[in-house]
Amino acid sequence: MKRRSFMISAAGTAAGLALMPRFAFAEAGKIDVYFTSDQNVIDFWTNVIKPKFEAANAGITLNLVDGGDSAGVQAIAERALAALPSGADPQSDVAEGFDTRLPSGGIEAGLWVDFSAAGLSNYSKINPLALDVPTSLPYRGSQVLLAYDTTKLDPANVPKTWPALVAWIKANPGQFIYNRPDKGGSGGNFVRRAIYEATGNDPAKFTVDNYTQELADASLTPAWDILKDLSGSLFDNGAYTSGNTQSVQLLSQSAVTMIPAWSDQALSAISQGVLPETTGLVQLTDLGLPGGFTKIGVFSNGVNKDAALKLADFVLTEEIQSAVLTELGGYPGVSWDYIAADLREKFKDIVPTSIPVFPGGDWEKAINDGWYRAVAPNVDRTAA
Amino acid sequence: MTVLPANDIVGTNKSRRPVGLLLVAAPVLLVCWLIIWPIISAIIRTIWLPDAAGEKRFSLETYQFFFSDQYSINNLMVTLWTTAVTALILLLICLPIALYLRFATNRIAAYVQGLAIFPMFVPSIILSYAFIRVLGPNGTVDLLLNAVHLPHIRSPYLTPWGPVLGLVWDNIPLTVLILLSGLGNVSNQSIEAARDVGAGRLAVLWHIILPRISNSLLVAVSFTVLGIFSAFTLPYVLGPAAPEMMGPFMQRTFRDLNDPTTAITQAVIAFGFCIVFGLFYVYSVAKNRAP
Repeated sequence: MKRRSFMISAAGTAAGLALMPRFAFAEAGKIDVYFTSDQNVIDFWTNVIKPKFEAANAGITLNLVDGGDSAGVQAIAERALAALPSGADPQSDVAEGFDTRLPSGGIEAGLWVDFSAAGLSNYSKINPLALDVPTSLPYRGSQVLLAYDTTKLDPANVPKTWPALVAWIKANPGQFIYNRPDKGGSGGNFVRRAIYEATGNDPAKFTVDNYTQELADASLTPAWDILKDLSGSLFDNGAYTSGNTQSVQLLSQSAVTMIPAWSDQALSAISQGVLPETTGLVQLTDLGLPGGFTKIGVFSNGVNKDAALKLADFVLTEEIQSAVLTELGGYPGVSWDYIAADLREKFKDIVPTSIPVFPGGDWEKAINDGWYRAVAPNVDRTAA
Repeated sequence: MTVLPANDIVGTNKSRRPVGLLLVAAPVLLVCWLIIWPIISAIIRTIWLPDAAGEKRFSLETYQFFFSDQYSINNLMVTLWTTAVTALILLLICLPIALYLRFATNRIAAYVQGLAIFPMFVPSIILSYAFIRVLGPNGTVDLLLNAVHLPHIRSPYLTPWGPVLGLVWDNIPLTVLILLSGLGNVSNQSIEAARDVGAGRLAVLWHIILPRISNSLLVAVSFTVLGIFSAFTLPYVLGPAAPEMMGPFMQRTFRDLNDPTTAITQAVIAFGFCIVFGLFYVYSVAKNRAP
């Protein structure tokens, strides 16, 4: 009896020891990538980047993990930050679609690799518009445009400038909706376009480090007036959806005629039949709706940091950047000069040569909070 | 062979008490570590703030800001309103269902019970999108009304009624189950006795059934109120942009505004309201357990 229980416990310990390393340590040569992006992006990594990268770098594999959303990946990043002083293994190497300003204090503590000093061969190719903090590496972009129902709005009459859009929204009350600016980029960039409109349509006026309370008051207050003026003419007397997907759903249910939508989301929704074939897409010509770039961050204390930097350099190659355009429906993170010439030619009509990019950081905070306090509540929803 | 009295199991024998205490020690320690301590630490973090020079000192400024900020107060008010309305509607819907299930003896009751418990197995994010499809603009209800030439209804989607309807549907199973367990305490004999002396249906409900299940009603209300107060997904997807319920408001303050101190202040205030119902629950359980 004693011998048997000893055998059982010994076997249990041995099994535990055999399993333990798999759970406790990241494997050398296996890059753990955590995603905030949606499934279509993870599919793109699984089907395009992963096989190509693994073929080019024998012995290195990618482990693609859906981190859910930004908060999910932030928990991973906080774990890595906590592991930093002790030199412990954070079990994570790359964060995709994550703002490396978070968790606060991370950059100061050296949590993230500074790409400007990391010696990536493709770093200089990055679209200068896309650069933010040097710990974030932009690798794909997307722009907001207007999606509309061509059965209700003739493409010949579709508004192509901001004043025409405002006039159309007011002439067709209840037919336009955008989402809350913090809940999805389509509404967020619609709000930012209003800020450009209020400040003379000059994207250069806003940079990531020129935020001051005075400049924010001077530029945001008139924008809130523009948006408040619109609110009564929006769907249901001033309703705002809580995300990009819900806006697309309202357009697909024919509850509204026009929404702002991400270019890649609208294109894939049309190709999957979520939006009907009769959906039209248009970009404003006076100044386009802004877009944004998705970035990756590399943990400086990851076990596979060197391999992760190879991966970061790899996603900026012409091969992957062209695939972003053709396979993902996104815009490249590098300047257009570094895209295959035939693709440059093919996409030149639908992709503008400049994407206004509104800076994040303190501006984002000011816009989100300002909109919730100034625009969202000041609507009489009961008005007929 | 002597049979021990049953009450010895719960430890009336004084010499066995430490064993009982040891048995509950693990959960009590877990609660202290994972719940009580975070609450204390949260409260400390909101009243022990750094001043301009970075020195920590006692201050109630975050609370002063919350209660002087109309936007925050509106959010708190809409949360209280949603909680009260949802709890009321839930009781009005679930009490008849529970009464029916308690007294019905036919096969249909089994299907009704299955249907009443069904929402428990539907994740709220799926419920939210289904809600937009069914009750949203140009949704199924609109199409059906339209088909029989009835006027278009104003959709509750993106109004304060959106989360109310979603939360009611989502909380039906728990409320029905709690009320049903309470109705198990009502004996058929007492009802038959009341009927024998000529009590009508309402009199039976009012004088016989309700007094017996008042405890369950209290527990049901406490549970639903706690759940609704901290609801996130349904108010987030179905509710209006402003005023927003405390759940989305806290999350937005914490994540989008990157302002943990204010978010924790909001959480402590929400906790202050919830603890009242928590104490109700503890009180009613303790009252039940008293010999």
